[in-house]
Amino acid sequence: MTHVSLQKLTKVYPGATEPSLDRLSLEIPTGELTALLGPSGCGKTTTMKMIAGLLAPTSGDVTFDGRSVLKDKPEHRGVVMVFQNYLLFPYMSVADNIGFGLKMRKVDKPQIEKRVAEMLELVKLPDLGKRKPAELSGGQQQRVALARALIVQPNVLLLDEPLSNLDAHLRFEMRDLIRSLQQEMGITTIFVTHDQEEAVVLADRVALILDGCMKQYDRADVFYKRPVDEATARFFGGQNFIQGVAGNGVFEAAFGHLELPAEAASGVGKLTFRPENIRLGSADRNTLEATIAEKIYLGTQTRLKLQLGEETIDLIANPNDAEHLQPGNALTINLPPEALWVLQS
Amino acid sequence: MVGRESIGIRSFRFLTGALLIIWLVLPLIPLAIWSFARGWFFPSLLPKTWSMKAWEYTFSDTAGVIDSLWLTVGISLAATLLSILVGVPAGRALGMYKFRGKEFVELLILAPIIVPGIAVVLGIHSVFISMGLNNTVSGVILVHLIPTLPYMVLVMAGIFANYDPAFEAQARSLGASPLKTFWYVTLPAIMPGIIVGGLFAFLVSWSQYILTLLIGGGRVVTLPLLLFNFATSGRNDITGAIGMIYILPGIIILLLTARHLSGRSGAVGGFGQI
Amino acid sequence: MSDRLKVFLLLLPALSVIVVLFFGGLLIGLMRSFNYMPVIGLTEPDFSAYVSVFTDREFYLSFMLTFYIAFVSTVISSILAIGAALLLRRQFVGRAIVNFLFQLNLTVPHLVGAIGILYLFSQSGSFARLAAEWGMIARPAEFPALVFDPYAIGIILQYVWKEVPFIGVIVLANMQSIGEDYESVARSLGANRWQSFRHVLLPLVFPGVLSASVMVFAFTFGAYEIPAILGANYPAALPVLAYRKYTDVDLAARPEAMAMAIIIALLSAVMIYFYVRYSRRRIRG
Repeated sequence: MTHVSLQKLTKVYPGATEPSLDRLSLEIPTGELTALLGPSGCGKTTTMKMIAGLLAPTSGDVTFDGRSVLKDKPEHRGVVMVFQNYLLFPYMSVADNIGFGLKMRKVDKPQIEKRVAEMLELVKLPDLGKRKPAELSGGQQQRVALARALIVQPNVLLLDEPLSNLDAHLRFEMRDLIRSLQQEMGITTIFVTHDQEEAVVLADRVALILDGCMKQYDRADVFYKRPVDEATARFFGGQNFIQGVAGNGVFEAAFGHLELPAEAASGVGKLTFRPENIRLGSADRNTLEATIAEKIYLGTQTRLKLQLGEETIDLIANPNDAEHLQPGNALTINLPPEALWVLQS
Repeated sequence: MVGRESIGIRSFRFLTGALLIIWLVLPLIPLAIWSFARGWFFPSLLPKTWSMKAWEYTFSDTAGVIDSLWLTVGISLAATLLSILVGVPAGRALGMYKFRGKEFVELLILAPIIVPGIAVVLGIHSVFISMGLNNTVSGVILVHLIPTLPYMVLVMAGIFANYDPAFEAQARSLGASPLKTFWYVTLPAIMPGIIVGGLFAFLVSWSQYILTLLIGGGRVVTLPLLLFNFATSGRNDITGAIGMIYILPGIIILLLTARHLSGRSGAVGGFGQI
Repeated sequence: MSDRLKVFLLLLPALSVIVVLFFGGLLIGLMRSFNYMPVIGLTEPDFSAYVSVFTDREFYLSFMLTFYIAFVSTVISSILAIGAALLLRRQFVGRAIVNFLFQLNLTVPHLVGAIGILYLFSQSGSFARLAAEWGMIARPAEFPALVFDPYAIGIILQYVWKEVPFIGVIVLANMQSIGEDYESVARSLGANRWQSFRHVLLPLVFPGVLSASVMVFAFTFGAYEIPAILGANYPAALPVLAYRKYTDVDLAARPEAMAMAIIIALLSAVMIYFYVRYSRRRIRG
């Protein structure tokens, strides 16, 4: 039950000219599951290590419930970090791995055995205690790593790319396991990932970090509809950016006017909308005529490149709807105002 | 790992580190001083008079040090060259192929690295007598292969394990003959291994004492034999000068290869034999 | 050409050299230790050389001394090497130079090290002179005997000097490939600095330390020139004793020398067993 606060957290590695992390401030409410999202090398793992006390920040502060923990040693912080490659101790059995934290706390043996058995149940590996880590599958190793972390009942749990080493079918299973354990125990949990899908699937809230700076901290869906800037939109797969001027609820582009949602910004900027939010056919508002430039069949969906005056935009359609559309055809589309968003330049 | 540490821990670490390095360099210092000393008697901490006498003697024609130096260079070069010629193919077999009995072959090659020379050289000596190889330079070169060859094979096996034979297949499919393929494709790829392995095989041969002593029978006087004789006869100044000459190739080789050296490369294993 | 034939041809020259020279040498030594050498008319093998070796008090003393030297040198070197590797694996200013100095004596032959130790620790050596300078002793004889001494302190000092960097470089590489993350995990699970070394790093590097120590033990057990320079005359280290017997004017002593060589070889066979066992385990781990 810990409210974690990062205050202007900065890390400059010795010999480096650029900071790896630049004045990151973040409030992570008690019991929430937060994702730190960003491309590799953006300072995510550095942030985690500083929260865990494995790395000292160059400046800034980390507080738990308002108290600075920078002077606390890693073993006294109540923070457990689970690494991406799990790092199970190879020479120990699964049970010894899980019981490690309690052994370090000098808990007596029968007590450790009892707790280990409970944890094995909890992560649904009741019979594997005697195995060596090398004999387990990736998914099983992940569960053991999780059990090893949770047995010490941490206040804060840190997960490094928790789903990225897993096969697609295991990801949802693991996601459900992490979510249910996290909510059951109410542990403030922070995980880092470079994969926006992983962040969206797992987290209550996402903090996007690009080039060592935090761009946006919001619920996951907001990143799709209301990105703060072009880089953020692109990171979440945004493709469509049209130069123009916004004012009085209308966006003026070279090819015509588009009605905007009420909360959109005004001024010179770029209009953005998600390829999957463009609708086929006409509507009362924002109907446009386009020409199909290219058609790419992607299996579960079809991507169309459309010529809209001088601009090219991407549209994602249901393969059935797109079946008869061919390059060179004219196409009527409409852009619902609530799907539009203006990025100020 | 953890950034903030107390001054106490940091200064303890600095002190032990400094002590360690001093200890590792220390035994070479009196050797270096002796080579310039003249009549350096107890209890003087430093020589009363400095002199180049020992060096002059060492480089004079009468001392035989220079002859011995060239002889040692020749023997070590020959042993290295033979090790490369014989060791590279074997390294290729061990590094690139899986075959039955591979573990056994590895064991055969490992054995001479661990079994001390004295355990085999007595037997070899009694055979070499009947073959006329005793007291000859060729006999000494042959017996030096015992420590140098296994080591070369292991280094090359490591190199070939990371070598992709698809390059050779590509060259062949582009029309290169087997010989041209070896010359233009294989050799450049394994050259760094041959150089590092060869340099250290040279050092291993360079440092052999008991093998040379027995097989050379006092006729083949390499530098370490000369050094041992001067050291045990109390000529500390000349011992110092020869000692300095003797350690020079190793230090040069270390300077050249320091960047390639890590305990991960097989090359380091050879240090156990020096 | 089939792969089997290719492998055979590639291995043939190297294996011939090793089998003929190394195993041939061992075999001849073994035969002569049993007084069996048909070429020179000895056709009836016997155990007389072993009997006289095992009934000789000097052999026992020499064996015990050699084992003691090898064991103590290996243990001290391994412990110090782990400590040195712990120091050197960190980032610090001047690391390149310190690393170079740490590796410097790897290329310095044992013989030179032995002479250096002699000049440092003998009763008229540098440390004795330092003691005189500080008024602790007046004459060389008052300085404790650290070379040619019954406890083989000089020999052990030489091996420790030479083998700490050897084991250290191997352990250091081991630690670098393991990385610091395992220890980070341990720390974040509640282990303190000592616990994360004791329960995590040490077990991880142990197989590497052990296989390096095995090489060191075998070397120190069979080395000739170091005890020849720094050792006491009686009892002498086993390789020195074997060499003396072999070069004795009395040719009858030669089979005894061969028997000692075979005993050294047997002991190193045990070392090979450990080496293979632990280096294989390390590869699997």
